[in-house]
Amino acid sequence: MSTPNIPMVGTPSQSGGQPTGEPVRLSVEQASYAYHTKGNTAPMFTLAATSFEARQREIVSILGPNASGKSTLLKLIAGSLEPLSGRVELEGFEISRLNPRTRAQRIAMVHQESPLLFPTRAGEYVLQGRHPYSRMMRFETQNDIQIAENALAQVGATHLRDRWMHEISGGEKQRVILARALAQQPILLLLDEPTLHLDIGAQVELLERLRQLALENRYTVIVVTHELSLAAEFADQVVLMHNGKCLRVGTPAEVYRRDLLEQVFEAPLDVDIGPEGRPRVHIRGTKTGRPAPILMQDKLF
Amino acid sequence: MRILFHRRFFGASALYALVAIAASAQTLPPVQSSTTQTNGADAKSLAPLIVKDDMERSVAVPQPVKRIISLAPSVTETIYALGAQDRLVADTDACNYPPAAQKLPKVGGPFTPNLEVIVSLKPDLVVVAANSGNRKETAEALDLLHVPTYATNAKTVDDVLNSIVKLGDVLGVGEQGRALSDSLRARLQELHRRLENIAPTRVLFVVWQEPLISIGQETYIADALRHAGAESVISTKQDWPKVGWEEVVRSQPAYLVFASAHPEEITAMLAGVRNLPGWRDLKAVEENKIVIVSDAINLPAPRLVDAIEELARHLHPEAFADAPHVPASVVHLAKRASTSAHAAENAQ
Amino acid sequence: MKALTLSRLLWICGSLLAVLFVVVVVALKVGAVPISIADLALNLGRVILGRASQVPSEYRFVVFDLRLPRIFLAMLVGGALSVSGTSFQALLRNPLADPYVLGVSSGGAVGAIAGLIFAPQIPLVAPLAAFLGAIATIAAVYFLGRRKGQLDSTTLLLAGIISASFLSAVISFLVTTLAGQNLRGIVFWLMGDLSTPLPDALHWVLLAGLIVGVGAIYTTAADLNVITAGEREAIHLGVDVTRVKLVVYVSASLLTGLAVSVSGAIGYVGLLVPHAMRMLFGSDYRVLIPSSLIGGAIALVAADTLARTVMKPTELPVGAVTAILGAPFFIYLLRRRLP
Repeated sequence: MSTPNIPMVGTPSQSGGQPTGEPVRLSVEQASYAYHTKGNTAPMFTLAATSFEARQREIVSILGPNASGKSTLLKLIAGSLEPLSGRVELEGFEISRLNPRTRAQRIAMVHQESPLLFPTRAGEYVLQGRHPYSRMMRFETQNDIQIAENALAQVGATHLRDRWMHEISGGEKQRVILARALAQQPILLLLDEPTLHLDIGAQVELLERLRQLALENRYTVIVVTHELSLAAEFADQVVLMHNGKCLRVGTPAEVYRRDLLEQVFEAPLDVDIGPEGRPRVHIRGTKTGRPAPILMQDKLF
Repeated sequence: MRILFHRRFFGASALYALVAIAASAQTLPPVQSSTTQTNGADAKSLAPLIVKDDMERSVAVPQPVKRIISLAPSVTETIYALGAQDRLVADTDACNYPPAAQKLPKVGGPFTPNLEVIVSLKPDLVVVAANSGNRKETAEALDLLHVPTYATNAKTVDDVLNSIVKLGDVLGVGEQGRALSDSLRARLQELHRRLENIAPTRVLFVVWQEPLISIGQETYIADALRHAGAESVISTKQDWPKVGWEEVVRSQPAYLVFASAHPEEITAMLAGVRNLPGWRDLKAVEENKIVIVSDAINLPAPRLVDAIEELARHLHPEAFADAPHVPASVVHLAKRASTSAHAAENAQ
Repeated sequence: MKALTLSRLLWICGSLLAVLFVVVVVALKVGAVPISIADLALNLGRVILGRASQVPSEYRFVVFDLRLPRIFLAMLVGGALSVSGTSFQALLRNPLADPYVLGVSSGGAVGAIAGLIFAPQIPLVAPLAAFLGAIATIAAVYFLGRRKGQLDSTTLLLAGIISASFLSAVISFLVTTLAGQNLRGIVFWLMGDLSTPLPDALHWVLLAGLIVGVGAIYTTAADLNVITAGEREAIHLGVDVTRVKLVVYVSASLLTGLAVSVSGAIGYVGLLVPHAMRMLFGSDYRVLIPSSLIGGAIALVAADTLARTVMKPTELPVGAVTAILGAPFFIYLLRRRLP
């Protein structure tokens, strides 16, 4: 398999708000993967060798349309998959080689909501985040409870503590799920399409909260998304994926080029730079010739 | 905090109590058989008699047998026929012949006898019928509780008679048993003589009509049919086969035979199904060649012979032209037997 | 926030044990042969103090040979079925799962029937053959229920349902074509029956199996809590989902196999007791497993006592009683908890 040299667009610069001088935490070096169906020699889907680095307090967005390899890359980072070639390292340790318990103490993954089997209170749900630290046959300590309550506070969901998970709204649920991830006291926070079922207010709120948490708690946050505008607004670094290949890595300003975006998203798009140095994306050429407003979740805003 | 401790303590002591109780139950020495318990003023404990019952099980029958429990209608009937009914302390809900048996204390049904009741009645011997109403598990359970249990079994009419003799011996009324068996055999031989030169009638014995269930060749009912000069059109080794209508219509039995204590029910049922497919294709239904014999034919007990004779008379009336009266029935025989038994006892 | 603590767990277990104690005492007292509490206490005392020979013979028979072993059996079977049911509900991600959904009871029934037909002369052939049948089914369903090398909840559930159906058909076939006199009792086995006394050794085997099975499942209790909130998430919380599923599958199936071998397929206990316990004490498996264990014992001892007293001297099959009582009780709990 050929591994084309992916151009890294410079080292993190000051444009678009990227932190400088923070130590590198996550290092993805030429990591690739291939899914095979049983018995076939030809792979079903391939993720070509990808590289990027992420630092403390940084938000990285893995951006791309569906089936671009975003989730695969995230799984490599989470350690669920072992890279076929290359390395994925967290603070120098190969992630897929870590034992699952240790990994869970360092990396927290926020999934899209899964249906709960039995009624659970939000507080109990968040407390499950302490599972990687518990010994078999022991109960949660006072310390665990404190950490869980802090996590709820950090997402502004303390009032939800005794509510049933199935009775709260989608946005509230998302906050609780995030709190559970925080309760793991991770250093790396991974989110897979967290904005899918949220309305625009909740989406913005989530990302602002992530930014705040990243800064306060020194997290490294990796967000997989296909939301162009959100990524532009909140990411310090963008990894642009298309058909299993990483096309570009860099700040939003560097990555959001019209030709690249049009190729990847197969839509007529225009890019300009906003007042804070962050790019804004428009849909180009409606029948009336006016530039259409920001593309958000396929709905015109 | 105190309340918590209290609860915990109570729960723990409950747990301990449960464990102690359970453990103590398991470590009790096995209970000895009831013959060594107080069981009457002058209970002379003789050594138990080891016999093999009809199922080849080894049974230690206490001597003498003073308290009997019957778990099957055929056993109850046989015990009355042997004249040993004054020693019968209990029977089942299904034991309704002779009428006196209905007044005995009940231990439940033949399928589900209540073990507690049986055990509390302190029987010397429990008699079950392996092929006629009782479960193997019941006998095994009684064995486990060290209650002497004797099983009767019969596959042919001959077996039934032998079984009666054996049971008679076990219960200490061997003479009556042999007398009974001899007289029953004599009647069967007379029947055989009468039917000697007559071809057997082809019949369908209907156990149940919906679904249609008949009898297999290896049941004593099939054997009883043969003694009565009949032949079942169904030939299979299964005991209670569910038969297909096609097979029955193809074989066109000459008669349909039913067994019931309430013949009017059968007649009413037939009136209802007469015109249904299957039934209406049978010549026997069309020509009203229906025989309803007493349900005694279902039990491996002395009245089986009565039922056989009854059936033979219906099917082959020409063979009985010279003997219109019904011979002495089994019940009368029993009375004679018990009077002679009493006489024998009083003489001691 | 109220998190689970050891003292709360002990409080719950203690209360349940107290209820169980009361139920056992009542069960010892009532029956076709009446026994007064005073006599009962006196004789139990005699036994515990080692003066067993002073116990009158009818108590010995009725209480110690018949009732106590039966109550003990009901406790063991009820506990095994309830823990198994609650475990399967987590494993199969289905609140309607009961101990029999994976076909273990049908496999046991086929085993028992085959044993009774082909080797009726071997003592205890029914429980032994039933257990073998159960084991064979557990193995078969395991291999059918795997996807990509590990147990997948949906595949397992489907494999189990299909096996149960197939085995039920085999049972119908055997009972119809090979029915001999030894099979008369099988209908009780299929309905669930505790009335047949068993040799002591079987009780101890069952107890040992119960301790091992429940113990093994309990070690995964905390993991099960996380798994029920989502399997994907559980992996990322450090749970070894493959190992947990295997342990739970094997242990719960073995518990069902043991229970079913001695008492046939008693229904509803394994389904309803876990839900009742959930409604009373919450869904944390660290509490749910011991509470289901004791709750199941209570439920089955109570049901069995009713089965043998409500129409005395006739005994109803205990499976019928659990069904008749189970449904309304469940409705009552449902309405109470979720207004």
